[in-house]
Amino acid sequence: MSVGVESVLQKIESNPRFMNNVTFRHTIPAEPGVYEPIPDFLPVKLQELLRRKGIEALYSHQAAALHEVRDGKDIVVVTPTASGKTLCYNLPVITTLLANEEARALYLFPTKALAQDQVAELMVWSDELGGKIKTYTYDGDTPGDARIAIRSAGSIVVTNPDMLHSGILPHHTKWMRLFENLKYVVIDELHIYRGVFGSHVANVLRRLERICKFYGASPQFICTSATIANPQEHGEALLGRSVTVIDKNGAPRGQKDIMFYNPPVVNKPLGIRRSSLLEAEAVAHELIAAKIPTIVFTRSRLNTEVLVTYLRKSFQKLGEPHETIRAYRGGYLPKQRREIERDLRAGKVLGVVSTNALELGIDIGTLQAAVLTGYPGTIASTWQQLGRAGRTDQPSLAVLVANSSPLNQFIIQNPSYFIDKGAEYARINPNNLYILVSHLKCAAFELPFAVGENFGEVDPAEILDYLADQMILRKVEDRWYWMSENYPAVDVSLRSASTENFAIIDTTDGKTRVIGEIDRFSAPMLVHEGAIYIHESAQYHIDKLDWDRQKAYAREVDVDYYTDANLDVELKVLDVFEHEELPQVKRNWGEVMVVAKTHMYKKIKFYTHENIGWGNISLPEQELHTTAYWFSVPKEKVENLDRGALQSALVGASHLLGNIASLELMCEPSDLGVTAQIRSPFTGDPTVYIYEKYPGGVGFSEQLFEAHGRLLWRALSIIKKCPCPSGCPSCVGPVEEVGVEGKTHTSWFLKGVLEHGSNQQTEEILTPTE
Amino acid sequence: MDLTSKLRRFLPPQNNSDTDSRQTACDLDSLLHGQEVDTPFGPCYVIEETWPLAKRHGHWTLREVIETEYRSLDLYGHPCDNFDLHRALFLDTETTGLAGGTGTYAFLVGLGFFTPSHFVVKQLLMRDYNEELALLYLLDQEIQTKDTIISFNGKTFDLPLLQTRFTISRLGLAGTREKRHVDLLHMARRLWKQKLQSCSLTSLETHILGVKRVGDIPGYEIPGRYFEFLQTRDGTLLQDIVIHNVIDIVSMSTLLYRLQTTAELPPEECDCSYEAEAIAHLSFHSRKPRLALKYLEAAAQLSSDDEQYLRISRNAAAILKRLGQYERALPIWKRILEIAPDDLSTAEELAKYYEHRTKDLTSAEQITRRALAVAWQSRSPKTSALEHRLRRLERKTHARTAP
Repeated sequence: MSVGVESVLQKIESNPRFMNNVTFRHTIPAEPGVYEPIPDFLPVKLQELLRRKGIEALYSHQAAALHEVRDGKDIVVVTPTASGKTLCYNLPVITTLLANEEARALYLFPTKALAQDQVAELMVWSDELGGKIKTYTYDGDTPGDARIAIRSAGSIVVTNPDMLHSGILPHHTKWMRLFENLKYVVIDELHIYRGVFGSHVANVLRRLERICKFYGASPQFICTSATIANPQEHGEALLGRSVTVIDKNGAPRGQKDIMFYNPPVVNKPLGIRRSSLLEAEAVAHELIAAKIPTIVFTRSRLNTEVLVTYLRKSFQKLGEPHETIRAYRGGYLPKQRREIERDLRAGKVLGVVSTNALELGIDIGTLQAAVLTGYPGTIASTWQQLGRAGRTDQPSLAVLVANSSPLNQFIIQNPSYFIDKGAEYARINPNNLYILVSHLKCAAFELPFAVGENFGEVDPAEILDYLADQMILRKVEDRWYWMSENYPAVDVSLRSASTENFAIIDTTDGKTRVIGEIDRFSAPMLVHEGAIYIHESAQYHIDKLDWDRQKAYAREVDVDYYTDANLDVELKVLDVFEHEELPQVKRNWGEVMVVAKTHMYKKIKFYTHENIGWGNISLPEQELHTTAYWFSVPKEKVENLDRGALQSALVGASHLLGNIASLELMCEPSDLGVTAQIRSPFTGDPTVYIYEKYPGGVGFSEQLFEAHGRLLWRALSIIKKCPCPSGCPSCVGPVEEVGVEGKTHTSWFLKGVLEHGSNQQTEEILTPTE
Repeated sequence: MDLTSKLRRFLPPQNNSDTDSRQTACDLDSLLHGQEVDTPFGPCYVIEETWPLAKRHGHWTLREVIETEYRSLDLYGHPCDNFDLHRALFLDTETTGLAGGTGTYAFLVGLGFFTPSHFVVKQLLMRDYNEELALLYLLDQEIQTKDTIISFNGKTFDLPLLQTRFTISRLGLAGTREKRHVDLLHMARRLWKQKLQSCSLTSLETHILGVKRVGDIPGYEIPGRYFEFLQTRDGTLLQDIVIHNVIDIVSMSTLLYRLQTTAELPPEECDCSYEAEAIAHLSFHSRKPRLALKYLEAAAQLSSDDEQYLRISRNAAAILKRLGQYERALPIWKRILEIAPDDLSTAEELAKYYEHRTKDLTSAEQITRRALAVAWQSRSPKTSALEHRLRRLERKTHARTAP
């Protein structure tokens, strides 16, 4: 089989049309495994089982995990995909459970699919070990009668943070057996818990710790993570305790070739490149035709379906059976996944097209090539997807096919960012006031707070007093008690930015189906009445927006225009937390009040960008109290730009920085808002603000403040490397918005800001190609 | 900006309550007629009210309640061997919410029990959260003197909630854990679910027990009223709740009485078709099919509702068939089809009877054809089974007539 990849590589290399679009090639050499003997302290039964499964020795990181856990440490294991991470927690847990039937473990997975996968595997282990270890999933689908059995008899309870938050902790007395005997908490995919979600989960863990303490348990934490830049810091922030990081991968790996593929530009003025989907299909076709088991990642379900259809059609012409290409979705049950896996091994399936369901630790083995349709958004995800192909000792190939977005274009043009930097930082802010207060309420519901009791590192007395003033809590003697009829966990969703989200409801053909959610702040922009809302490449007309009930009613349509609402953003600085003043720039971060109002929208025709109509929007003004990072340039420094040129520079810089910032922060571009003021009432100078769309902020602003120089250099390098003549969506934004000299103005403006600025970052970002 | 002003800005006050100003000094004793009781865990407030046995509550006196032997409650599916009302405790809680979970407190626990001369209602009240341990301590003492708890919907609500409170209190008290529990709601549902739209205690009081409440506080207002009391210490806020809870307890006792007497009511003395039908159903499930038939006959005679009449008849016929008394089932099936010609199940029964019992293929075929016509018209899922039956009957007839 290995010959396959090499011969395909040769074929690809000799194809100039293909190679012209390859902007970067990188070979990661093969590495042998580092092994350690199976430790003697594992129960004999377990050692025998490992040997029966063909495991004669452990990888060094698995052995290290075992030893650290045995020493009582809380650990975070950071190794690549398919390096046998599950053994790092299953071995210590099973060892303890075999010795003590009463012992319990709690496993947290970010998704139901992962949880089910894990339970399927653990059940097989349990059977082979005599069936004493009872593993159950506990989630929204668990039937009522099964729940009772799980509470008392489940040795390993596998659930997700949401269920722990709303189903388990508020009913902790029913889970007394679990909490009294809890020895381990296993958290898989730690890097997923970042940003708003992570900040919530950190507080759920504070609550878990509080309940464990009540029942006299002090469980050890065993976590695994994809590669992130700060596993130690992130693990400690999330768990609120010190952790030992194990990051020396002992698993062997075969040689891996990575190629970055940039589809050719087909419309130069608009900067539009050939569809990444079609290019990815062509690459995948080549690989599958050479009988190389290949996985193609897409960014949406719809694209998955489209690609499967395309690939099946082209292979049907070659006389291949329909089943050669399979779709693979998050919703699949373990049984269906096993089936695909089996068919892959048997060679019946050669191509698997998937959304990011597979990226999260689900293993289907035997793949030799991976094709990524578009940059997955973070370096960590990219490595996880690239890592899906290529097992221990075979060479493999991974191709990243970029699309036209600024993020993709930055990555594809700055491969060193990807290769050298390694991974992003995962950040959380568990002390975001909104999030913290929400969870303090939940915690007070679970058990009264005593004076002097801490919540994680926080002394919550002042907040609890405030809640008592609001008559949500009641303070008697030295305790705060829950004094409300409500069940607070219901009002707190861990995943969405706020509970104030609007539901978008598809009413086409009389059905009612929720197709998406949108935060309150973005709703007036995107789902006002008359808006064309795009969901999975389909267009929907918003017929009605019910502001009070937070519902937008949509109907699928096929029109040749899109809508663009004008958002007037007023931003007032309330408090500056940190600032730095240089002659050419002042940078700050702090607390701001954003007031946004949409008055009207335009209908814009596709391709020609003609304005073909407009409509009024009358919706209430929106206030968002949050944190922001901003920088201003002394007006003397930009005197030689006229007002129009300055406006164009600010618009261009905003467009670029918003995108670059999300890259830096490992967040969605929609988590951030960008606005610029030619003459800020606060600074008196031209100012660009990047604010967080989650009330109170989750720490992004501080991070951007620190990354200031790096951000600006990256922005500049995108402008330099973008082949468009005067601005396109991949760099400063479309010409219609920035004007024909948008690129020049923006780059002049940014250079001015960077002059004499942070020099060390210059080298970091501006690669030798500059 | 300091934290509190930030909180005010981020999380502005939601309820503009003006209750802070009303700090009425509270003399609970004169309002609620109870007294503070000390425990090793501090004080809590206890209200005790004794009712003479001669006192009438709705249709019955408490003497009638206590002087009855409770030997037939197992009809309702609760095993009640050795049930002794003298050793039972009626229990009803008033709570800070209906959502359940660990943040819901039982601030008032009402208990009812009989002494040789009286019915006693004892209510344990926590005047603030710090009296919960004392309340639980006293509650446990009361529970441990008895062997049975009687509640209304306690299985899903009161008992789990109290067990949660006991667990969180960490006093190591058993609470209701090892006690027999009789939930009157479950029994009442078995008897009256056809008769009444709602089997809530209020509905039972109105339609069954003859109890009329005046100025009763609706249940959903209770938590808010208690919270207001905590803020203001105004004892009048609790008066309605205390009275509400007393009536709940006393009504439970007469409800128990009514359930027992109805269970022993001979079929000929039934005066309600729905009760007779329900007892028939329960008797059948207690493996007393012949008794069930008697109640069904009584129910059929009392019934003035066609739908119920049909249901009773079908059940009666089904029991007769099981007992092998086809000759008695036959007229009932016929009667059903007269009233409801589209009743395909009964048509099937009848066709089976003619085909297999009396070998009257002509009648069987005739009934099957008629049923099939109905089935086709209504696109019934029984169509194919009926078609199959008809084909078989035709084959048999053919075989019989062929030389």
